[in-house]
Amino acid sequence: MKREPFFWISVSCGIVIMAFILLPLIQMMSAPSAGMLKETIQDKDVVRSIWLSIYTAGLAALISFVFGTPLAYLLARHDFRGKRLVEGIIDLPIAIPHPVVGIAILSVAGKNHWFGQILAELGVRIMGSVTGIVTVLTFVGIPFYLNATKAGFEAISPRLEKVSRSLGASMFSTFARITFPLAWRSMLIGIIMCSARAISEFGAVVIVAYHPMIAPVLIYERFEAYGLKYSQPVAVWLVSISLILFLLLRILTLHKVEEQ
Amino acid sequence: MRETHFFKWIGFMALAMILLLPQGNVRAEVSGKVIIFNAGSLTMPLAQMEKEFEATYPGVDVLREAAGSQQCARKIIDLKKPCDIMASADYKVIDKLLIPNYADWNIRFATNQLVLCYTDKSKYAGEVKAKNWYEILARKGVIWGHSDPNLDPCGYRALMVLQLAEKYYKIPGLYKRLIANRPKENIRPKSVELVSLLQTGNMDYAWEYLSVAVQHGLKYTLLPDEINLGNYQFDTFYSQAVVKVTGKKPGTFMDMKGGSVTYGVTMVKDAPNREAAIAFLKYMLDPQGGLKILKDQGQPPFIPCRVPTKAMKSSLPKPLQNLVEVRD
Repeated sequence: MKREPFFWISVSCGIVIMAFILLPLIQMMSAPSAGMLKETIQDKDVVRSIWLSIYTAGLAALISFVFGTPLAYLLARHDFRGKRLVEGIIDLPIAIPHPVVGIAILSVAGKNHWFGQILAELGVRIMGSVTGIVTVLTFVGIPFYLNATKAGFEAISPRLEKVSRSLGASMFSTFARITFPLAWRSMLIGIIMCSARAISEFGAVVIVAYHPMIAPVLIYERFEAYGLKYSQPVAVWLVSISLILFLLLRILTLHKVEEQ
Repeated sequence: MRETHFFKWIGFMALAMILLLPQGNVRAEVSGKVIIFNAGSLTMPLAQMEKEFEATYPGVDVLREAAGSQQCARKIIDLKKPCDIMASADYKVIDKLLIPNYADWNIRFATNQLVLCYTDKSKYAGEVKAKNWYEILARKGVIWGHSDPNLDPCGYRALMVLQLAEKYYKIPGLYKRLIANRPKENIRPKSVELVSLLQTGNMDYAWEYLSVAVQHGLKYTLLPDEINLGNYQFDTFYSQAVVKVTGKKPGTFMDMKGGSVTYGVTMVKDAPNREAAIAFLKYMLDPQGGLKILKDQGQPPFIPCRVPTKAMKSSLPKPLQNLVEVRD
């Protein structure tokens, strides 16, 4: 069969995009020598910052999961006045420039704001703390979780749930036994998207918390203080470790689906 | 039929894009972009200078990129980012990192001094004075900070002020006591970033340059000349302060010795737009031009500007030579 020109246009666009994404990444990943990489991963500060990155991004995803799932379900199943508005608000964190996110969070957390005063009385500190980092990462990550999960719920026919309810199952039990087993894959994708977004955040975090340093902040600090040579290896480690984690999650998901 | 239309359209778009690409330096007179990497503390005066300069030279577009002074140098050395002019909050950064490979000369054009900034919402804002500031900074519950000494000259200078205060007020152990009351979390990469922490009430006191305090309308306490790093006549006293900052690779350190706050500016050797950069420098270093703006914004300029040696003066571009004097 003769391919139409449109096919070839699509293929060449695809190749251009692949090269566009991969070329700089490959250049960065292959720049540091093996010796430098080894030296870097033995550096306690590096290990600590990568661990902090993974752990705070994971927490952000967990918080999004706990608080986001009910909202995603609500949005997928119900129509109400102002739903569009709610959906627009959910997408806001994607559109706001990152430093603005940081400043906005700090301005609510400071003494000049009533909310900040409550936090201070409770002994919660946002500036320069792990709490602050998780707050920022949740802020930037939660839209990705909500959108992926909502799409997952929307793809399940409400009739299945109605059948379950009509046979006497409670709302919770319907969710646990019908909806969740069908939607968990989208939820997992949502968690991956959310933590991927969180692990890459820099601009907002550096304003809220410079110390303790997450990996992107450490990469920035290394770059400024010592130059490219010492920041690239940290970047390589962060990218490799997160890639492996996300790949593992993906493989896990695909595997389970084939079994089903 | 549809497809030929489609291809015609693509061809048209490609042609349009080629025509819209920048045409490079076609004209000989001063025009085009002038790229300036500048220390964060110079952002506001340079913005004003840009406005005035572009009014006289409508063909020139001044592009400013503010960062810590060290980072400015890194962008030139490591990232090879094109840059015409680099203005640093510490002239030593240019001497150490850019000369001789990336620049030939270094003009000292302004001074500044360190002040302790706060707002009316800061803890103990009512009682802070030049006489008791160090006592307030040592109090529990007072959140104060400075910028990262490894990245920003304002950061190590703040530490120097604290060390000099110990000597000047004759209170042994003051430096240690103050640092113990400043958790690492209160450090920020650039001093200007501390301003928003003050304004949002996340921080009570922050070390800034006087000019930054004036430009941002903050309250501030002026310190005696012996410790504010603003008067080069006290350079010998200042040199007693020594701060350890990170060296060339992680885990190594070097000592920074105290000295007066002196700003330096240079033109990068392979500046993409030499003529326009020289025109800008000529305006910037003119007592009626840029230097006047600096003065108005709390950043006392050197009139005239200074270079350390005769040889350096003669290596300057001709139009700049009569704007500087040789002075150590």
